Amino acid sequence: MTMASLTLPQAGSVDRAERRHFIARHAGSMILLAAIGIIFVFPIAWAALSSFKSTNDIITGTFPLSWSSFLPLQPTFENYFYLFTELNFQRNLLNTLIAACGQVGIAVVASSLAGYAFARLRFPGSRVVFALLLLTAFIPVEAIIVPLYRIMQWLGLVSTYPALFLPFACNPFGIFLMRQAFRDIPLEMEEAAKIDGAGPLRVFLTIALPNVKPTLATLVLIQFIWSWNAYLWPLVIMQDPNKQIAQVAIANLKSIPNFPMDGPLFAAATAVTIPLVILSIVLQRYYVRGLVTSGMK
Amino acid sequence: MQATAAKPPRERQWTGQNSNPILGLAMILPAAAALALFQFLPLITAVLNSLQSFSPFDQSSTGWVGLDNYAELLADPAFRSALLNTFVYIALMLGLTIPLALVLAVLLDKRLPGSTWSRNAIIGALAASEAVTALIWNQMYEPSSGLFNAILNAVHLPTQPFLTGSSQALISIVIMSVWKDVGLPMLIFLAGLQAIPRELPEAAELDGASERQVFWTITLPLLRPSIIVALFMMTITATRMFTPILIMTQGGPQGSTTNLALYSYMLGFEFQSPGSASASVVCMLVVLALVTAAQSFILRDKEAK
Repeated sequence: MTMASLTLPQAGSVDRAERRHFIARHAGSMILLAAIGIIFVFPIAWAALSSFKSTNDIITGTFPLSWSSFLPLQPTFENYFYLFTELNFQRNLLNTLIAACGQVGIAVVASSLAGYAFARLRFPGSRVVFALLLLTAFIPVEAIIVPLYRIMQWLGLVSTYPALFLPFACNPFGIFLMRQAFRDIPLEMEEAAKIDGAGPLRVFLTIALPNVKPTLATLVLIQFIWSWNAYLWPLVIMQDPNKQIAQVAIANLKSIPNFPMDGPLFAAATAVTIPLVILSIVLQRYYVRGLVTSGMK
Repeated sequence: MQATAAKPPRERQWTGQNSNPILGLAMILPAAAALALFQFLPLITAVLNSLQSFSPFDQSSTGWVGLDNYAELLADPAFRSALLNTFVYIALMLGLTIPLALVLAVLLDKRLPGSTWSRNAIIGALAASEAVTALIWNQMYEPSSGLFNAILNAVHLPTQPFLTGSSQALISIVIMSVWKDVGLPMLIFLAGLQAIPRELPEAAELDGASERQVFWTITLPLLRPSIIVALFMMTITATRMFTPILIMTQGGPQGSTTNLALYSYMLGFEFQSPGSASASVVCMLVVLALVTAAQSFILRDKEAK
């Protein structure tokens, strides 16, 4: 209410008085909001700023507290230079991208097909199968990682690219999301196409799919982010350093004995995280919808 | 759409070409096959492995041993501590994220100047990877040269061991995870709040209810479905906590941050002990099922009154 009247063209003095009243009433909340934003931005921003410090500067310059704890007082690009020349980090980024594309591609195809079948087609056992598939949402990766590793061994896929994305590309989240989207299409649209003689597969491709584009965008974004951020599974299944993804490569920088890599580590963390964070904020309409739907019945 | 959906039996009217069992089965086949192979098969294998013993040399099964693996685990103090820590992680994560997420959601829902900035920052933290955030926080927690101790030192407070102290390591990991994950329940609550018709709280305020009364008597009860979903999702998140622990403490010091997820991983990969690793995984799933069941029981009970 107050917000609306603020924007109304009113007599100047009334307007100003009201604005002052609004600010006085909400000053505490607004300061709190600003502080909350800073708390959530800080660690990532601090890492990004530190990526322009030398490793020595990071280790010796943070403690005791001074401007150099936060800011690169002698900014340098040496970490990025080292990362992309000595460590060949672009290779890891490319591997991450390959895994993400594989995951997104499979997820889109498999989830749309299954989602449509569960939403619109009648076949024996559909409810039981749907319930069983959703049940896998309860199974954490951490719980099945050893037997899953054995299965990949048996399939001969250890240390291959498909091993990175194949096991988790089909997930209950995607199927559920697509099923909900297909259910929301008015039946009449599909009926009309059928009266014109289109078969169910044609209806799926020409009517249903084009009508769920926003949901497909959500699915692509969420799967991309999940794959981009995966750590444990690639750590276990990928033993070929040339095919290792970025997240694992970054974490490996932490544990090189007697050779601190803090600078390159911050640079790599920044290179991997900042684009993704910006993507999630710019596309938050899709991102948030996916996150919230994943928990909704 | 709504009217059609309500008529029982719903899908009978939607027959004709749609009762096409072969097409339906063909369309679910890729997803169903993948989930069967990569989710159910490993799960069943884990349960079966937990009932067998294995040769320490070639990892082949040496026969069924009933619940021996479980008995062995229960006798291991490291397992008991991992089991206890799993509950501690769940309790702390739920106890901190859910109320904090509620407060944040209510604050953001006022749509004051600054809300967008705050929401974007929280979404950014949520989208960053667990591995990278753990590495960054690890640097900030660093006991001798880290930022947190630099700040404590600057305000003349004693420096803390954080991740290197067995009484502080677990809570340090939890604080990082709360920072990282609070966005998810917050977004769920925000969606729930936006679904509440504005007239309800406004009418109550006109009747003279205070902001606090409106929250407790109107907003909170209407948010119940969102709270159930958020609790459920955070329970899964808290039970499976793994990456930050592996990166920040490897379960130490003295096992003080090891939970069942990490314990099973160590047994399975580092100690090559499939039988007890599987038994420990099954225990973790039982914990998850028990906590989830307890939540739905408690929340259903309230509704019945």
